[in-house]
Amino acid sequence: MHEYAFFLGCIAPNRYPGCEASAIKTSEKVGIKLLPLKGASCCPAPGAFGSIDLNVWYAMAARNLVLAEEMKKDITLICNGCYKSIWEVNHILKHNDELRDNVNEVLAEIDMQFKGSIDVWHLAELYYDEKICGVQKIKDSVTTPLTGAKIAPHYGCHLMKPQKERHFGDTENPMWFEELIAALGCEPVQYRNKMQCCGAGGGVRGYDIVHALDITNEKLINVREVGADAITEVCPFCQLQFDRGQIEIKEKFGDVYNIPVLHYNELLGLAQGMSPQDLALDLHAIDCTPFLQKVL
Amino acid sequence: MAAKSYNISELDNKLADRRYHLADSNPEFTQKILKTSRTIANMCYQCGTCTGSCPSAPRSSYRIRLFMRRCVLGLENESLTDPDLWLCTTCYSCTDRCPRDIAPTDVIMAMRNLAFKRDIIPKNFLQTVQLIYNSGHGVPNNDVNRAARTKLGLPADPPTTHTYAEFIPGIQKIIDHYELKANADRILKGD
Repeated sequence: MHEYAFFLGCIAPNRYPGCEASAIKTSEKVGIKLLPLKGASCCPAPGAFGSIDLNVWYAMAARNLVLAEEMKKDITLICNGCYKSIWEVNHILKHNDELRDNVNEVLAEIDMQFKGSIDVWHLAELYYDEKICGVQKIKDSVTTPLTGAKIAPHYGCHLMKPQKERHFGDTENPMWFEELIAALGCEPVQYRNKMQCCGAGGGVRGYDIVHALDITNEKLINVREVGADAITEVCPFCQLQFDRGQIEIKEKFGDVYNIPVLHYNELLGLAQGMSPQDLALDLHAIDCTPFLQKVL
Repeated sequence: MAAKSYNISELDNKLADRRYHLADSNPEFTQKILKTSRTIANMCYQCGTCTGSCPSAPRSSYRIRLFMRRCVLGLENESLTDPDLWLCTTCYSCTDRCPRDIAPTDVIMAMRNLAFKRDIIPKNFLQTVQLIYNSGHGVPNNDVNRAARTKLGLPADPPTTHTYAEFIPGIQKIIDHYELKANADRILKGD
């Protein structure tokens, strides 16, 4: 069993608890144990905090990292936004002495010190990693294949970009997420401009909702064009933007899509036999029932 | 974001070339952005790949290439007072495609940091600060969600600062160190 400190973030536990519940249960079936990271806070939001003062962003993310350092466990998480804060600040502070000293000066006020002794992983990347889990192991864990469903993958931005600072390779047309989706028995579909942003990041959702939704709308048009039954992603903030965003798009632009949006963990949970009730799919703004009827 | 710092004297000399600065430009602005963003905007040759990759560009007047030019020319006021500064979703498409290996996204983030120092900041950013200061979460829990969590067999509140509130004073100390909450309250009050 590989053990990790599970960094929850905000939107997964506080808006889509099914993402949290399914992460804990699905990972256990493939040999990954998620331990609670007690006292963790918001990552903090890279768009909001990073835009105001990067130094506070470094220090706040470092506090979360130190909590896991004290547990002597690597962190895993299920949100691209959290990945940007937690992974990137860990990376920066490990390699930039000046910034690390500044952060440690502040952390000393609360009797903490950033040591740089752990690594940070997205759970999806652990699922794909042959050394930890791998696609075959995911495939073997499936009891209810989601046969017949066309799934549009949304990678999001902050997991893989900027490419040069990450380790995921190509960001123009990656295919690793498709492999994870196909392992569940469903069909990943390609659509126009797959790597485009959901529109929510950088504080834009709060600053100019119509602008953010217009970006989302473009993605939804492209997803509908290929007849996808659902969108899947690895970021609860993207999920919120696509899911609640469809309601807002209906109100503001009059466009109706009704495309269910599920986190990859929720999809994996369904494939491993969890019921829609176990995943709190009723909290999703877009009704998942037609999709569920198709696959279950 | 590049995790390196550039302390090369030869490079500094090249970047100090001020022939192209205008009367209303501030060379220090360019230097401040370089320090915060740790990316060299001066390498930009204005090809426009960034704007062509930008999801915000087709639906607004926001042009990342323009901000890159403003950065190099030190056009501080023009950059920081432009409302378009806040339309970057930080998707890093421009950064991934830049043929000059610049990170335009990080230039925008550095400009936003400098704008905040002049009290120029959209309200929603400050509201996030207040929420995190009070609860540790930017998106706090609510009763509907607590009921749903309980049904799933999860604790009503996640094992974060929501359960362990004793960690919140530490978070407040960090934010107070940078006087962020005081400034957020002051700016929001003045609006």
